Amino acid sequence: MRKSFIAQNPSVLWFLLALALFTLAVSVLSEATGSALISTSFVKTLGKTLCLCLVAIAMDVVWGYCGILSLGHFAFFGIGGYAIGMWLMYARTKGLVLQGLAGNPLPPTPQEVSDAIGNQIFGVVGSSQFPWIWGFADSLLLQLAMVVLVPGLLALVFGWLAFRSRVTGVYLSILTQAMTLALSLYLFQNDSGLRGNNGLSGLQNIPGFETTPQATISIVFFWASAFALGAGYLFFAWVLSGKMGSVVMGIRDNEARVRFLGYPVEGFKLFIFTITAIVAAIAGALYYPQAGIINPGEIAPIASIYLAVWVAIGGRGRLYGAVIGAAFVSLLSSWFTGGGAPAVNLGFYVIQWTDWWLVLLGVSFVAVTLFFPKGIGGLFDYLVRKP
Amino acid sequence: MTTLLEMSGVSVSFDGFRAINNLSIQFAKAELRAIIGPNGAGKTTFMDIITGKTKPDTGEVIWGPRNISLLGLSESAIAMQGIGRKFQKPTVFEAQTVRRNLALALKTPRGPFAVLRHSTTRPQQARIDEIATEIGLSDSLNRIAGELSHGQKQWLEIGMLLAQDPLLMLVDEPAAGMTVEEREKTTDILKRAAETRAVVVVEHDMEFVRRLNCKVTVLHEGAVLAEGSIEHVTSNPVVIDVYLGRAHA
Repeated sequence: MRKSFIAQNPSVLWFLLALALFTLAVSVLSEATGSALISTSFVKTLGKTLCLCLVAIAMDVVWGYCGILSLGHFAFFGIGGYAIGMWLMYARTKGLVLQGLAGNPLPPTPQEVSDAIGNQIFGVVGSSQFPWIWGFADSLLLQLAMVVLVPGLLALVFGWLAFRSRVTGVYLSILTQAMTLALSLYLFQNDSGLRGNNGLSGLQNIPGFETTPQATISIVFFWASAFALGAGYLFFAWVLSGKMGSVVMGIRDNEARVRFLGYPVEGFKLFIFTITAIVAAIAGALYYPQAGIINPGEIAPIASIYLAVWVAIGGRGRLYGAVIGAAFVSLLSSWFTGGGAPAVNLGFYVIQWTDWWLVLLGVSFVAVTLFFPKGIGGLFDYLVRKP
Repeated sequence: MTTLLEMSGVSVSFDGFRAINNLSIQFAKAELRAIIGPNGAGKTTFMDIITGKTKPDTGEVIWGPRNISLLGLSESAIAMQGIGRKFQKPTVFEAQTVRRNLALALKTPRGPFAVLRHSTTRPQQARIDEIATEIGLSDSLNRIAGELSHGQKQWLEIGMLLAQDPLLMLVDEPAAGMTVEEREKTTDILKRAAETRAVVVVEHDMEFVRRLNCKVTVLHEGAVLAEGSIEHVTSNPVVIDVYLGRAHA
């Protein structure tokens, strides 16, 4: 008999419960809604971590479940960030410009306003013209649509070309990495229309909420990130629970066999690749307002490789594994590289963790791959023994 | 006899080696056929051509009542035409349960969105149970397929083929690694299946072929060497020379 979705996937309930408790705990300890035991900047770090967990889930679905080692999902994350960043920056600059022009005896013409905003935003790259890609930046709704549409279409077209030609395995990984590198190099250019290596900044200031303290904004974004993570988890668990999960895992384990059963494998890969790209972009759109700045360096291929490392360390092929990996490794990374970890004095040499963290991460990755292929999430198998 | 599949004048070369050489063969709508031949006779390549894995250099493969050509179709489209295949090495989805393996093969819409909305109905569930009983795995439905023994995996793959309910079953060495009893049961299942559809069995084991008691096609160097009853082909001196003679030598 077909059991209910939750009964079949008890881990979903546990995960949502843990997430709810965590959200409650952070709210109670935060500055805006609680006892101010944790700082606003730490609330932001936690909110950002939840977004990283969300993109890690997407990565786990595309890699751990469908077997496509995409090294481009952080690019989709970045595109989501840029898309929301354009509105944040435009609307805020517009507000400031209007304020500045308010003292003029004559009301400013739309052209004057537009020029002034252009000067403010693009002055750093020696331009004042609005590139065509900023066409929708005035409208939050349209720009939110861009968060979903741009990465969705990019993934759709790229995936269609790659999967149709039956590019698989390491070749596909290289192709996705090339896409990521090309995108990041393009964004580094000053005439890309996205402010080159300056990126978009001031994103923590939400237009219309200028007087709201950052403490409040940070906790609201934290809630939004927690909600998105919960919803994303539920969505992917639902997608993978039924026959779709069977087909997708079948593709991972033996693509040709799935084809001989009559399933159009390319269509399934494209579906998974595209929905995970969209979820990655949504995670990015929530992340960057908390980070305050996005620049092309964020999209560099190394970021997508980190994403794969998180999922591998956390445990591929189980959604909570990806969450654990992303949270654990990214928080540990901030601790080590942020000077939190004490330097180790060996007498003849002092280990500075800011330099050695990457080595430690690399060694952990190799060790996990060799000795614990199921990752940290695999430890749960010892807790829950299946009959 | 109404023809289900007709292959005519098909040739395939790999790096200059002619795996299939001007092969013509046809199968009726409901028949059991055994294909035998020494190693390298082109048996697997022959199946690869029908299922779309290999594209022939020349020749035609015409399928079904509407006489369509299979050559332009993808593997999945060919499978949807009603051609199912069991591989020589049992290939089941080892990370998933027996039930999920069977459900995956069950004849349901195959597109991504149809699959996303799909939920297994009672009749489908009943069909899975029925097949599981037939292949002797009804107690193992919730076991992970990777834990099954080699013989059980063979059964599971035969079960998946039954679940697919194809018009043409291509079965590569179904009896490999099976006990005598299991072989008998396999023979029964294949014979029963052949009452309503075409079942083509590629086999090495002459004993098994004898038990199938059907028309036999002998392949040699990518072409049909002889065709007829098992007595007929085994008494053919050319066949004895290239196949049996060599096997007994």
